[in-house]
Amino acid sequence: MKAIFIVYNQAHTEKVEYMFEQLEIRGFTRWTDLTGRGTETGDPHMNTHTWPEQNTARLAIIDDDKVQLVLDAAKRMDEVNKSVGIRAFVWNVENMY
Amino acid sequence: MSIYGNAVKRPVTTIMLFIAVVVLGGYSLKQLAIDFYPELEFPAISVMTIYEGASASDIEINVTNLIENRLNTVSDLKEVSSVSRDNMSVVTLEFEFGKDLDEATNEIRDAMNFIEPYLPEEVSKPSIFKFNSSMMPILYYAVTAEESYAALEQILEEKIINPLNRIEGIGAVGMNGAPGREIQINIDPKKMEGYNLSVEMVAAILNAENMNLPAGNIEMGMMDYPIRVKGEFAESDEIKNIVLASFNGQTIYLSDIATVKDTIRDITFDEKINGRTGLRIVVQKQSGANTVKISEDVKKMMPGLLKTLPPDVQLTLFFDSSDFIRGSIDNLTRSLMFAGIFVVLVVLFFLGRWRATFIIILTIPIALIVAFVYLFISGNSINIISLSSLSIAIGMVVDDAIVVLENITKHVEKGARPREAAIYATNEVWLAVIVTTLTVLAVFLPLTMISGLTGMLFKQLGFVVSITVATSTLAAITLTPMLASKLLKLRNKPKKTGRFSYSNTIDKFLDSMNEMYGRALRKALKVKWLVIISAIVILIGSFFLVKNIGFELFPEADEGQFSAKIELPTGTRVDESSKIARKIDVFLTENYPEINLLSTSAGADDQGGIMSLFSESGTHIINVSGILVNQEERDRDVWEICDNLRDFLGTIPEIATYTVTPNGGMGPMMSNNIAVEIYGYDFTSTSLVAEELADSLRLVNGATNVAVSRDPIKPELQIIPNREKMAIHGLNTYTIANAVRNRLEGPFMRKYRESGNEYDIVIRYDEDQRNSISDIMNILLTNQQGQSIRLQEVADVVEFWVPPNIEHKGKQRIVNVTATPYKVPLNVISAEIDRIIGNMDIPSNVYVESGGAVEDMKETMEDMMLLLLLCIALVYIVMASQFESFKMPLIIMFSIPFAFSGVILAHLITGITLSTISMVGGVMLIGIVVKNAIVLVDYINLMRDRGHELKEAIILSGKSRLRPVLMTSLTTILGMLPLALSTGDGSEIWSPMGIAVIGGLIFSTFVTLILIPVIYQLFVRKSDSRKEIAEYEFMNAV
Repeated sequence: MKAIFIVYNQAHTEKVEYMFEQLEIRGFTRWTDLTGRGTETGDPHMNTHTWPEQNTARLAIIDDDKVQLVLDAAKRMDEVNKSVGIRAFVWNVENMY
Repeated sequence: MSIYGNAVKRPVTTIMLFIAVVVLGGYSLKQLAIDFYPELEFPAISVMTIYEGASASDIEINVTNLIENRLNTVSDLKEVSSVSRDNMSVVTLEFEFGKDLDEATNEIRDAMNFIEPYLPEEVSKPSIFKFNSSMMPILYYAVTAEESYAALEQILEEKIINPLNRIEGIGAVGMNGAPGREIQINIDPKKMEGYNLSVEMVAAILNAENMNLPAGNIEMGMMDYPIRVKGEFAESDEIKNIVLASFNGQTIYLSDIATVKDTIRDITFDEKINGRTGLRIVVQKQSGANTVKISEDVKKMMPGLLKTLPPDVQLTLFFDSSDFIRGSIDNLTRSLMFAGIFVVLVVLFFLGRWRATFIIILTIPIALIVAFVYLFISGNSINIISLSSLSIAIGMVVDDAIVVLENITKHVEKGARPREAAIYATNEVWLAVIVTTLTVLAVFLPLTMISGLTGMLFKQLGFVVSITVATSTLAAITLTPMLASKLLKLRNKPKKTGRFSYSNTIDKFLDSMNEMYGRALRKALKVKWLVIISAIVILIGSFFLVKNIGFELFPEADEGQFSAKIELPTGTRVDESSKIARKIDVFLTENYPEINLLSTSAGADDQGGIMSLFSESGTHIINVSGILVNQEERDRDVWEICDNLRDFLGTIPEIATYTVTPNGGMGPMMSNNIAVEIYGYDFTSTSLVAEELADSLRLVNGATNVAVSRDPIKPELQIIPNREKMAIHGLNTYTIANAVRNRLEGPFMRKYRESGNEYDIVIRYDEDQRNSISDIMNILLTNQQGQSIRLQEVADVVEFWVPPNIEHKGKQRIVNVTATPYKVPLNVISAEIDRIIGNMDIPSNVYVESGGAVEDMKETMEDMMLLLLLCIALVYIVMASQFESFKMPLIIMFSIPFAFSGVILAHLITGITLSTISMVGGVMLIGIVVKNAIVLVDYINLMRDRGHELKEAIILSGKSRLRPVLMTSLTTILGMLPLALSTGDGSEIWSPMGIAVIGGLIFSTFVTLILIPVIYQLFVRKSDSRKEIAEYEFMNAV
């Protein structure tokens, strides 16, 4: 099992939902109205007058074989328009109950 | 969940809500009355007191002064003025606009109760009445007849007036100039005296005959019969056979000493309609009733009623006040429609997308229809103010929707689904949209708070624009995102575009304009001082041009009607007045084919009733009124015709004074008349000053209708009893006065009744026995002992000259000299008057002051300045809180003075005069022009925050914001263009506002685009956002 953390521009909300449905990922935790900035490129999403956009984040614990599918989907989504912004991060899950 | 989120997620609810609004609006629109102006209650109340037989100066001392003193304590009083005439005192109290007149009436009634005991005994109970514009007649019918003329009053009363009175909303239907039936008993005094009779005796006998009396009852068999003596005259023919007395054994009949005529009243009034004898039917509406609807109802009912009339009676609609109203309203509705079309075209031009355009323009009908709901709820009507307000608003209501939609489109083009884009893009801009709306409200809401007449007029404008703009904002953050989420699609850029496709034509053109503007801006930033200095020069230069513009209070509309009051020397007989009236009639009909209907009347109709409230009459007065054909069908305007009529009247030597009034006039409150007030107790010196001033005024170019309010002194015959001689003969003043009155006017008589109608019986000396001083001298008086004495033995008859009216203002005697400006602006004439007054030698007991429109204009100017300051302060407050800065609003406000320069230039180019209307346009501009600057400055701030260097930020923003700035300006400008250009009925009133706004907006838009960036650069030299950073430098050492 892996933990996958996806942060994306709110404008991607429906696409991410669709992806979760397609990959049959049931469980997730979601945070809305987040702010942040990319390390290298992309506009900051700061919920200010200057940078009005905002992010949403999802944390899901998924089977190892789905990880690559999620990452691929995120990449395809990002490539439609880089300036919108989506990133996914994966780390190991040590334990669960 | 936010309001826009909900709107997007529940599209059906959103649509239903807006449909509900539209339905409500449609319902309101159907119910709304149509009128010319919003209902204005002129805040004045008059107290009229009749003191029969008293002269003007008696009335002044015994009645008017008392009432004035007492009523002076009524609260919120602006001014007390009064006129004391023979028999009558009218005290008028003027209040501040907006005063509750019912409350004032109660206060006045209380005060009057208090003074009534102090008034002379013979004074009738004072009556209190309000002046209300709705009392004005709304329809005049001219009636002419041949053989039925004598019975016309009866016929019309039964067949026309009574049925008309049943129409809902009709206040009163009256007749003017009707030939009333009357039984005249004309006594030959010599025969009467020969039989030892007197008028009083004859009257008493006739009254004793002409009555029905109950005389008890008797029981007969099973029945109880009441008994009545029935002596009332059944036919007028019976009267002459009444037995008066027995003289030397011979029976004297009435026919022996008098002739009895069943005829129509003595004519003291001669009315001609298009040259034929006739009379007028006047229809008035109830206060608050719908003029247009009533006029339609009446016109619908008329054909049916006409069929019941004898064939020789002809009824013509002479004047219909609803024509002008309907014409103006149609005209404005057309303007509004064109405005709508223009706005749609502008939006389409800049966006190039049908769906986006559709979404945006949908806010127009919704926002406008809410205005109707407001009008309905607040009890207002559709009038020229509310409609022109809509014209102003139409270009502004799309602005918010454009901003929202633009941002949504941006997100869609970035790849977001329309539904998401709609929510998140609206989220990004909704606050900014609301703040720009607040700046507009900051200007338009204070308009609802102005006091005075201007306030009454512009209250609706303020509310209508505020409400429509607020609604449009609401629609922009709910309906627009919802529709965008449903209708917008991600457009795949077509690979090949047609040669004439949008992106190859307009888009390219707009892009090249962006580039051009970018280059211009770059240059301007380099030569910033030159830009600023030339801006200052333009500003100051334009303000210097102000003195070339004329001022007036209100622009006057060509309402296609005129009236004239012509006075011959006081005391002229009706037949003489009639001759002059015919002359004028002929002049007008021969020279002016434009005149559709013409009515002239000479003399006074003693039964005029309502009408005498509006027009003065007397045997020497001729009233002329005419209606012109529609404005499109004639070349000469009403002012020109009036001017020519004045020239003609000036050539008739018999005419003493005349006033020719173009248009119906909205009453005293909106006229551009100049009045000079001359205060002073002494009649002679004030009259002299007034006459001198009037004479010099007549020579002033452009001053017409010069008139002095104090009528010329009129002749009066006074019977002066000699007390010693009276004492010898046992007579007193009362007997003499009564006897004279009974012989000339007739004593009280019972009415003659026929088929339910009552007619007057008038008994007096035959006309040729009462038309000279010697006839009066020969009147036979009878004393207590039954002896007969001629009047000449106890009294003298002397001719006297008396002032017929005494006017007061603020309890002081006053004479007004008034003039109407024609083709010369008010301020020019008023300056000329000041010069004349300065050169005049005014006695120390006389005080001269200018008033009228000049006074009103000063007040209005002060109001406007105050309003301007208030608006500027409010706009600053809104902007400062939006930008969280004191400096930014200041930069933005530099565009305001240039808007005023634009207004001045627009007036100069079009040659119209500056009036209250255009000044209100100027105030509105504050709210409109700062919007452009806000868009620009906000974006420059944004670019700088995003890390662009100052100059680069300015140029980038300029290029990016050029389109939105041009788009919002163009929608507003083109929205008002039809208003400014319209030439139809009533357009003179509102087109100045359109011209002012367009001029100001065009000029300030250009200034905003160049000057504001330059000033920004100057104000914001160094970036000041990094001050705090120094405080954290201690961390750097690590």
